[in-house]
Amino acid sequence: MKFTSRRTAAVVGVALAAATLTACTEEAAGDDTGDAGAATESCDPSEVTLVGQVRNESNPYEASWLDGGDAFAEQVGLSQERLTYDGDSTRQQEQISQLLAGDTDCLVMNVLPNGDSDTPPIVEGAEEAGAFLVTQWNKPADLAVTDYDSWLSHITYDGVDSGKQIGDALAEAIGGSGGIIALQGILDTGAAKDRFAGLEESLAGNPDVELLDDQTANFSRAEALDVTKTLLTKHGEDVKGIWAANDDMALGALEALEQAGRTDVAVVGIDAVPDALTAIEDGTMTATVSSDGPWQGGIGLAIGYCVATGELAVEDIAAEDRAWYAEQFLIEQENVGDFVAPETSESDFACDNLFSRSQGAIS
Amino acid sequence: MSFRDTGPLIALVVIVGIFAALSPGFRTLSNAQNIMDAAAVLAVVTCGVTFVLMMGSIDLSTPGIMGASAITVALLVANNRNDNELGLLGVALAILVAAGLGCLSGLALVLLKVPSFMTTLGVSAVGLGVATLLFAGVQPNISDGTLSGWAVDRFLGLSTLTWIAVACVLVGWMVQRYTRLGRYAFAIGGAEEVLALSGVNVKPYKVAVFTMAGAFYGLGGVMVTSQLGAGLVQAGRGYDFSAITAAVVGGTLLAGGRGGVLHSTVGVLLVTVLTNGLVLVGVSPYWQGGVQGLIVVAAVAAAVIPQRRRNQVTK
Repeated sequence: MKFTSRRTAAVVGVALAAATLTACTEEAAGDDTGDAGAATESCDPSEVTLVGQVRNESNPYEASWLDGGDAFAEQVGLSQERLTYDGDSTRQQEQISQLLAGDTDCLVMNVLPNGDSDTPPIVEGAEEAGAFLVTQWNKPADLAVTDYDSWLSHITYDGVDSGKQIGDALAEAIGGSGGIIALQGILDTGAAKDRFAGLEESLAGNPDVELLDDQTANFSRAEALDVTKTLLTKHGEDVKGIWAANDDMALGALEALEQAGRTDVAVVGIDAVPDALTAIEDGTMTATVSSDGPWQGGIGLAIGYCVATGELAVEDIAAEDRAWYAEQFLIEQENVGDFVAPETSESDFACDNLFSRSQGAIS
Repeated sequence: MSFRDTGPLIALVVIVGIFAALSPGFRTLSNAQNIMDAAAVLAVVTCGVTFVLMMGSIDLSTPGIMGASAITVALLVANNRNDNELGLLGVALAILVAAGLGCLSGLALVLLKVPSFMTTLGVSAVGLGVATLLFAGVQPNISDGTLSGWAVDRFLGLSTLTWIAVACVLVGWMVQRYTRLGRYAFAIGGAEEVLALSGVNVKPYKVAVFTMAGAFYGLGGVMVTSQLGAGLVQAGRGYDFSAITAAVVGGTLLAGGRGGVLHSTVGVLLVTVLTNGLVLVGVSPYWQGGVQGLIVVAAVAAAVIPQRRRNQVTK
């Protein structure tokens, strides 16, 4: 994989060995990273409990997230507890309460909150119990990570950027000029708004690409099929490309194109679901964007582990690394092979390399 | 056909007329094909729900039953997950599973006396559960030529799926018109007590109606699988309410005893034409949901007003 670097891997090994040694001395270790804070005594690495929590394992992306967590856990000689809550906010809170009712001294949680409003109770609970928490994707904008000690970091992705990346890839695929149609997500979600704003940015930079129509298909494959068929009737041969705000809709659009016997239309999506990767390999789809699920599953645990073992102090995490946009990857036919069976590399989870994928603080 | 039955039909004609006047794209042959293709699944599902509504019950089990049948059929015909290659036998088995789930709703209704609202909601959850278990994290994509051909192959300009829907509407109409099951479904919705007092045991008929409805949803799930080329757990998402809406817009009353398969089919066409027409006319997506809702309410009102007059005269 392209993230691997043997040199950093070696550094990790040494760092880990050092961490193990220093932790044995039962001091507030982490002398090399400054004062580790009075409140938290460092944990012995073997005493750390790692928990990864996502909605469900029937979603390939979220299953790969938990696999990434397992990979990190194995790397530090531990195992990860895999939790799923079936997209049910109440169940998520119950699972968190149960965890926090147990031994929380060396508990590390990497959590995907069901929605924005589910984040505050999880954060408050973790703060009270002193458990190390990293959240991803969902958080109310006015909730500041820096107000908390146990909530180490929040990671999300810039939808404007991903919308623009696939917009540009689409423009390139149709030779820089021609008509495209856009399939939007559920219109009142942040993801749909940001991704469409990204497309508009891309259009501004590609003046010869014309947006013929934009419609919503609510992130659904079946709705995208019907909407695309209707739009193909409306615009006919003028349609050179289809921009979809997620891969499910892109796959629905591909089906519509096949039924209409059109092979000259480029299609792009976001999320890198397995069927989309297959379509890109086959050449029927042009591009998608990946947030790298396995990395997400590992990085949250890694941040918590580094702080729990005293290798990193909360105070030393820069404010811009407490709530940040992570790098996402444009997948096209040339590099799709790297993503079909994504793997994590140890160097990504080294304590001195945790924030290397940051694209800046969440504004 | 009396005037009260023709209200929705008139509304359909008016709406088609307006869209045809506003959009040149709407009045093309290929768009007519589009509308028929897009209406096919909803028409089949609505056939099933119509019989339940005629009895005065309600059915929310559609998403679960369709999901279960979609995954089942995708795993039984040629696919990328296993070596099964049952073809049409797989389709039949999926519909059988769906009918079984529908039967479960009916049994819970008559044996446990749980209101249909709750039993069908529960069966929907069971269906989604079965679908999720079978799904097991990897999407089954179908490679069966016959099944994927249904969405593409055309006969007299219409896809096989559309012809299946036409056949379903005909079968549904004949069941409603010529069989005891259909007539009793009407009678149960109109006056269940009278029927019971005259010595008819209504319970088996109720179970049979839910079973038949389940089979229709199952076929709907198979059709979605054919369209998308893959078995999705969410194959039936949203079909519960859109089918009930279509039936009611067409003049099948939620209270039971009124309407029928043909009424509901007019409702299906009305709803589908609206979705299609609003896109072609170029209404902004941000406005569409609201505009569509308003037109549906107006169409229902137009359909109900003549009925209300008639009721007032007779009372």
